[in-house]
This record gives sequence, structure tokens and C-alpha cells, in this order.
Amino acid sequence: MFPWVDGFHWTFGHILFLSLFFAVVLVITATLISAVNRTVKNLRTQSAAELCWKSDFTELPDTERHCRHEIAGRVASRMCDNAFDCRRCAKYADFAALPAAGMAHDLGLKYSNDRFYHRGHTWLQPNEDGTLTVGLDELAEHLVGKPDSIRMPAIGERIETNGTAWRMTKNGNEIRVRAPIEGEVVETGGPASGWYLKIRPQLDPADPVTLRHLLRGAEVRWWLSRELERLQLQLRTPNTAPSLADGGVLVNDMMDAIPEADWNNVLASTFLEA
Amino acid sequence: MASAALADRRWIARSEERSSLGRFLLWLAPWALLLAAGVYAGGLCLWFGLNQTNMDNRFAFGLWIFLDLSIIALGAGAFFTGFLVYILKRAELKPILNTAVVVGFICYSGAVTILGIDVGQPLRSWFTFWHPNTHSMLTEVTFCITCYLAVLSLEYVPILLRNRELRKLPSFLIFEHQLHKLVPVLAAVGTFLSFFHQGSLGGLYGVLRGRPFAFREGFLIWPSTFFLFILSAIAAGPSFLMLITAAVEKVTGKHLVAEDVYRRLGLISGTLLGVYVAAKSIDTLIWLNVTSAAAGVAPWRYYEYKPFGTPLLFIEIVLLGLLPAFLLTFRKTASRRGWLLSAAALACGGVLINRFVMTVQTLALPTLPFDEFLTYTPSWQEVASFGGVIGYGVILYSLSYRYLPLFAKPKGDQSHVSLG
Repeated sequence: MFPWVDGFHWTFGHILFLSLFFAVVLVITATLISAVNRTVKNLRTQSAAELCWKSDFTELPDTERHCRHEIAGRVASRMCDNAFDCRRCAKYADFAALPAAGMAHDLGLKYSNDRFYHRGHTWLQPNEDGTLTVGLDELAEHLVGKPDSIRMPAIGERIETNGTAWRMTKNGNEIRVRAPIEGEVVETGGPASGWYLKIRPQLDPADPVTLRHLLRGAEVRWWLSRELERLQLQLRTPNTAPSLADGGVLVNDMMDAIPEADWNNVLASTFLEA
Repeated sequence: MASAALADRRWIARSEERSSLGRFLLWLAPWALLLAAGVYAGGLCLWFGLNQTNMDNRFAFGLWIFLDLSIIALGAGAFFTGFLVYILKRAELKPILNTAVVVGFICYSGAVTILGIDVGQPLRSWFTFWHPNTHSMLTEVTFCITCYLAVLSLEYVPILLRNRELRKLPSFLIFEHQLHKLVPVLAAVGTFLSFFHQGSLGGLYGVLRGRPFAFREGFLIWPSTFFLFILSAIAAGPSFLMLITAAVEKVTGKHLVAEDVYRRLGLISGTLLGVYVAAKSIDTLIWLNVTSAAAGVAPWRYYEYKPFGTPLLFIEIVLLGLLPAFLLTFRKTASRRGWLLSAAALACGGVLINRFVMTVQTLALPTLPFDEFLTYTPSWQEVASFGGVIGYGVILYSLSYRYLPLFAKPKGDQSHVSLG
């Protein structure tokens, strides 16, 4: 670099300075290249969806990261630090052995004891042929109503747990529905058919651990009850205090019924967006 | 307007409350005007040359260099916080790490912009790397500052990519994750670079044999000012971070950082300031009694020129050095927000005075018997250009605060995200 500077003579100082300078440039460049390389590698493997979900999970507000066992009344208070992945939770078995609290009042929402529910408002039902049917739960259906458009994955496409299952748009809002399980898409449906996807799971659905991260039974009722409370708070008229509703059922197509609401936030809370 | 407000809300983290879009734009308006005036003034300087300034061949360093040195010193909080968190593992400072990076980025990018206007001929900026003056400490400064700005940009990218809308792109989110994992490497490189360029900025005054007021003895090739600049920068950097954070808390009406973080920053700043004051005092005594005498100069002569008398020396070392060092470290004063922030402001003022003395006083004082005391008043173009940097800084920080996780609560740090 320097020899063409007039009167330049190499000295030990020059060699030292240039060595350090180029070492620094090399480290900065290598850091950048390494980050790009790792990103490309992650995007090519199945780890991308998991990384994105874990990162999104850390950004969820505290109110949306409560452990299922707290929601079901098995423990007084517990935040999930496992990105809702009960399959890898070391404490799952301890808490699951405790009885869930009972609930007397009717939620006005249907849910089935045969189905498994994901916190992103999808349900999953095992079929006899080993595939799993996936649909939107009743709360999400009431919220979105009839979507303006739907983008389903291709048959044969692989989806990852908490990755994108399908996308919908409604009144200019893009909705990403998170997949409740990993596997290969074998059939696609839509709102009219009452289900959206049929998946051949990567793991054996008969193994109790495979579906362990999904809510079921009494847990669903408590979780939906909390979700309804959240919805009431989010959809209340601006600058009014939270009020206690005296019953009733959700209207259909709430996004059309209350267009002035902050749907960006409501949808983000409902479908677990950061 | 309603749709614009809704669109704006999409970019703001869900868990954060921010002012309305209209109010935010109103806040930005005066700073945007300041920036516009700065761009115009800077454009004039680039188009017509340095005749737009009041600098000349004798007064070659003016307002720009004085303020550049000051914001580079105050921006030292970025590298020093990174050094404390990633190298010394002081996890309690993590809540202010992001804001430190943004403040550092603003300070350094602002300083480099003004240097670009000062040097002029931006199309020939590569000359400084290809045909450097190998005898000048400024060469090392140029190389280090450029590299460090690249490091700060890379450190800023992960913060930027955590924006609510940008993170929806998986490639961005994964790149953010991977880059974040490598940030400790960047923090180490940044520390290395910063030590050297902070030092060299001081060193370039210390080697001026023709300016006995600034000339200092030192260690090997480094005059004492090399070490004093490093010390004063790492002492003032945390104080400046405290002031910025407190100002943001005041403007937004939110409690953003725990009191412990303030106290920790104060203790670090105060301790380093104490060491700096001791070193500066010894250096001044050696200069008064040894260095000047060896050069055949009567040092007290320099303090006869008003307004640069001994009071300025007293203000720099005692009022803006020893006093804040005491206030920042003494438990009773450090535990009160008012005292802590006042002391931080004094510490930052001390660095400003030091850079002013080294730049402006050095050039104003006569050196040869026939020299006269020089005066210099910056032109409006010089003032406006720097005003533009302040406008740019406030706008960039405001945008970052509104749309990025500058003070995100530590709930499961990104660096702990792994594939299990």
C-alpha cells in the first residue's frame, strides 16, 4: 500500500501497524461473512423456523408467555421459558400430574376433547391413517370470519412446528397462522371444508410426547377463557376502563363488525406474532 | 392520518407504548430544520471550499475539530460498555447496551461526516488510505475511526433487524441472530480500535514540538496526551450515556433503566475520572516544571492571555474533574439522581473543556516571540454544519427509540436462543 508514497521506507513500525490494521479488517470481514454463511445454512435447513419462533417468543409480551400449567390452575404463577415446547420441558411431567382447576361457566365457544390445541389458535386432530388434520379454532374463526385471500402451502411441502402453516389476508391485514406440528402437507382445505391442512407428521402421533406441546381437555377451556378476557380488553372502546361483560357469545366476523379496532395488535396477540 | 397512524403502529413493538404519530412528527420538526440548515451549510463548504469557514492557515483546527474530538470522546460509552458487558462480563449493564451502540454510532457517523466536510473533496476520500502520510498520527486515527464506524454499523444492524416489521422476514431475523452471536468479537475489535484512535487523537497534540503549550513527553512513541485522551474518554462515556438515558426518560415520561444501572455507570465513570484527574495533574506538573523548562519556555506565560487564564485550568481539573469524580463515587451523592446527573454533566463538560483547550487554546497562543495571540470566531456555516449533526443525532435516536428495542426488558436474551 505505502511504497508509492514519496520517500517511504519500510520500518518495523509500518509492518506492525499495517499487520494490525489488516488483521482488524480481516476480523470485521470474516465476522460479516461468517454471519451471512450461517444465515444461509440455517435458511437451507429446518432450523430456520425454530430459530425465528424462539426469537419471536422472546419478544412476546409477558402476559402472553404464561405456562399452560398456570393457565390450567395447576401452579399459582409460572412463565414459560421454553418457547411453549413442552416436549423439551424438564418440569412438564411434575406439573401435568397435578389436577387442573374446574370451571363452571360456559365460554360460549365450542371446543372438542378429541382435539389438541396450539396457542396460535389452531387445532389438530389425529386421523386413523396416521395423518393429522389441522384447522382454525372457533375463536380465530369468529375473529377473522371469511378471509379475503388464503395462501396455502403446496402439497408435499414440509412445515415446522411454530413455522408458517398458511397465510391469510383480511381487510389489508396479513395473518400468518403458525403450524401446530412438523410434517409434510398431504392435503389442503379451507374455511368451507372446516379444516385447512392434512399433515403426515414427522414423529409418531401415537407417541404421547409428539403432541405433548399442545393443549387439551380442561386446559383448553381455561386458555380460551383468558383469550376471551384479552380480547375484551383489546377491543374495548379507546380511553374506557375495562368492564365486565355479562355473558353473550362472540359475533361472527369481528374484523368486519369492529373495523376501527387496533387489529394489528389483536391479530398479533392471537396468532403469536412478535 | 388514521391509516398512517395504523401503519406507524405496525412498526412499533407490541409491548411498547409510544406517542401518537402526529406528536412524534411535531417533535422531529425542529430537529429536521436544524438538519436541513446543516446540510445546506455543509453543502456550501463542500461546493465553495473552506473559505466558507473562518479557519485559516494558522487556525487550521476550529469548531469542527473541537466538537469532533468531543463527540468522539463522549461516544466512547459505546465501546466501553461493550467491553464491560462482553469482555468483562458485567451483565448488569446489558439494559443500556443497545442505546450505547446507537449513541456511539450517531457520535462517530456525525464526526466522520464533519471530518469529511472539513477535509473536503469527498470523491478523493480514498486518497487518505492509499496515499497516507505515514508520519502523521492522523493516519492512524483515520484508519481506526473508519474501521470502528464499520464495527458500530455492524453492531447497529442486529438492533435494526429486531424491528417488528423487519423481523417478519426470516432471513433478516436469522441474520440478526447470527450476527448477534458474533457481537462479542466485534466488541473486542471495537475496544482495540477505540483505545488506539482515542489515544492518537490526544497523541497528535502531544507530538507538536512547535507548540510548547501542547507538547508532552511520554512513553516510547506515545506522548502522555495519548493516554490522557483514552482515560478521559472512557471516564466521560458512561456519564454521557447516563445523561442521554435520563433525558430520554424525561422526554418520554417513562422509567427505562433501573437505578442500579445509573449507580453502576456513575461508579465506573467516577472512578476512572479520579484516575484521570490524578494522571492529568501529574502530567500538568511535569509539563510546568520539566517539559517547558527543557524547551526554554516559561509556562505561566501561556496563562496570561485572557480568557485563557489559570481559572480555565482550575475549572478543567478541579471543578469539572475532581468534583464530579467525588460526587459520582461518594455513596451519599451517587445514590441521589439529581447529584448523579449533575456530576455526570460536569464530567462531560470537563471533557469538552479539555478538547477545547487542546484544540483552540493551543492554536490561539503565540509560539514565537513575534507571534500574536490569535482569535477565531466560527462562521455561521461552521456552526450550522455542526447543528446539522445534532439534528441528525436527535432524529436518528428518536427513530431508533420509537421503532427499535433500545431499552427492551431482558427476558430471555437473544444470545441464549439455541437449537436446544
